[in-house]
Amino acid sequence: MESLALLGHGFTIALQPTNLLFAVMGCVLGTIIGVLPGVGPAAGTAILIPVTFVLDPTPAIIMLSAIYYGAMYGGTITSVLINTPGEAASAITCLEGYEMAKRGRAGAALSIAAIGSFIGGSIATMGLVILALPLTALALKFGPPEFFALMVLGLSLVTGLAAKSMTRALMSAVFGLLIAMVGIDPVMGAPRFNFGITDLLDGFEFVPVVMGIFGISEILLNAESEVRGVFDTKMSTLIPTKKDLKDSVGAILRGTGIGFFLGLIPGVGAVVPTFISYVAEKKVNPNPKEGWGNGVIQGVAGPETANNAYANAALIPLFTLGIPGSPTIAILMGAFMMNGLIPGPFLFKEHADFVWAVIASLYVGNLILVILNLPLIPLWVALLKVPYSILFSLILGFCILGSYSLNSSVFEVGTMIAFGVIGYLFKKLDFPLAPVALTLILGPLMERGLRQSLEISRGDFSIFFTRPIALGLLIIAALFVFSATFRVVSQLRGGDTQL
Amino acid sequence: MTMKRPYQITAVVFILFSAFIARESLELKFYTSLGPGPGFFPFWLSVFLGLLALNMLYQATFKPQDPMPADFFADAKGYMKMGAILLALVATVLFMEFLGFRLTMLLFYLFLLFALGRQNVLVTLAVALGGSWGVYHVFVEYLKVPLPVGIFGF
Repeated sequence: MESLALLGHGFTIALQPTNLLFAVMGCVLGTIIGVLPGVGPAAGTAILIPVTFVLDPTPAIIMLSAIYYGAMYGGTITSVLINTPGEAASAITCLEGYEMAKRGRAGAALSIAAIGSFIGGSIATMGLVILALPLTALALKFGPPEFFALMVLGLSLVTGLAAKSMTRALMSAVFGLLIAMVGIDPVMGAPRFNFGITDLLDGFEFVPVVMGIFGISEILLNAESEVRGVFDTKMSTLIPTKKDLKDSVGAILRGTGIGFFLGLIPGVGAVVPTFISYVAEKKVNPNPKEGWGNGVIQGVAGPETANNAYANAALIPLFTLGIPGSPTIAILMGAFMMNGLIPGPFLFKEHADFVWAVIASLYVGNLILVILNLPLIPLWVALLKVPYSILFSLILGFCILGSYSLNSSVFEVGTMIAFGVIGYLFKKLDFPLAPVALTLILGPLMERGLRQSLEISRGDFSIFFTRPIALGLLIIAALFVFSATFRVVSQLRGGDTQL
Repeated sequence: MTMKRPYQITAVVFILFSAFIARESLELKFYTSLGPGPGFFPFWLSVFLGLLALNMLYQATFKPQDPMPADFFADAKGYMKMGAILLALVATVLFMEFLGFRLTMLLFYLFLLFALGRQNVLVTLAVALGGSWGVYHVFVEYLKVPLPVGIFGF
């Protein structure tokens, strides 16, 4: 009941005209990111962080959250219309959604995706409301050793699930941690690895680094390949038939469950729930009238619902424990921290108004996406006709502007370019970027947790093994890393050469 | 062609990087009376990274490798476009404070729109002027975000 009362108060803040306006803007910008093939949610969110520089924390985070789940929805549009997923989580939607579009049922596919996304997102947000206070109460009992162990667990999950290769995933994670070490040491205040460069005394700024790693690298990859679909699909009515709705109910409910539970596990990624949902639908209904691969509506409803349920549920570990489960969520966490807010249990204690307003805005945003997106589909389609040269030039110009305006310094633009090249090389060599983003954010917090713990114990490492919660979390983390390593070793023995 | 050589080169780069970080870490305080110092965490991280990179080198050298993806290397046109983007970005860093935001970004857009795929002259001019003078006006006048003015006074 307490949660509902707090949520009600959150709605009064989220529905204020200014916050509502920024939620709408976030949904529109997020959808644009989702629509544009080649600019994923992580890149888009990173690129758009500077838009919120001039805002107060509440509208800033409301807008960035809306950009995040708007992007998750926007990817569907191109999957259905031009058989090109705007972001990876919508790839599976191409299978049935594009086939529906070829048969003149693009409107029904997009409507069902929107309805499913709304239901999945709303139910997952309800999960956040229900779990927020109990999880927060538990986390408030944590001291530095428990927080350190929790971050190790989050990191091991993301690293273990992020890549085909455990070695490369761990190298990415350690690389991110080392990047996070640059600047003033968080405990003693001594400068580290700044090599006499005063701009590095505060460490690498988060925004130019993620803009480079995710944004610039994607543009470089796209520039060298340049693949582009051509929109030539005819649109029918947007209203699904009664049969469409009836056929989709089960798929939407199953998609919600799959997306929600996988969203709670850091590192699963948005793609996995959509594939599991698609497979589940094929198992539930092995012989549909149309035949799988020929435009079965459940194949759109299930994965799209799972996608948005995942996106909203993935916010639960972030809000309650301060653990980001994906690169986009890590970027969102970075935006929180830039606004002086550290996600985790203390957020609910010290900034209750803010956090409940953001949670309420998730409902508002999900509704905005349904209301706004379907009538605007012609606009999204028009956007796809903008030549890549113009689109990329504008995005790059925006990246320069965003990184420069952070500190009014070209050093940040240089940082963005350098990390853009690093991100490009990492992607080429199949090094996962999720652990880099995560450790970049968690690095200083982890180090502080470790060193504070050792100060408490006067340098005795047994502090991590004598406190039950810390020990339990570390055991789970170790088991996970060992099982992931064992899996890779087995693959190697079986001739599958993943480093 | 396999991924053997790219992974070997990458592993060596990481080994050198980790050795450099380890050396730098040891120049910081490693341990204090209060517990670990600023060099403690980065030192052990660099050791761990070095071990991982050695493992990568071993695997790349002595184990069979994945075939190289068809798009691992771009064609000449692709590299030209990438080079144009990087050149434009680096030039922006070098000239932004000297020429000012407006002139630098005008040249940035004109160059990129020419290099990435030629457009109608009017469209090119509209994008370049909007992205330079237009953006400057909005950011400086309305959002009060300072942007550099160059030697020509704009």
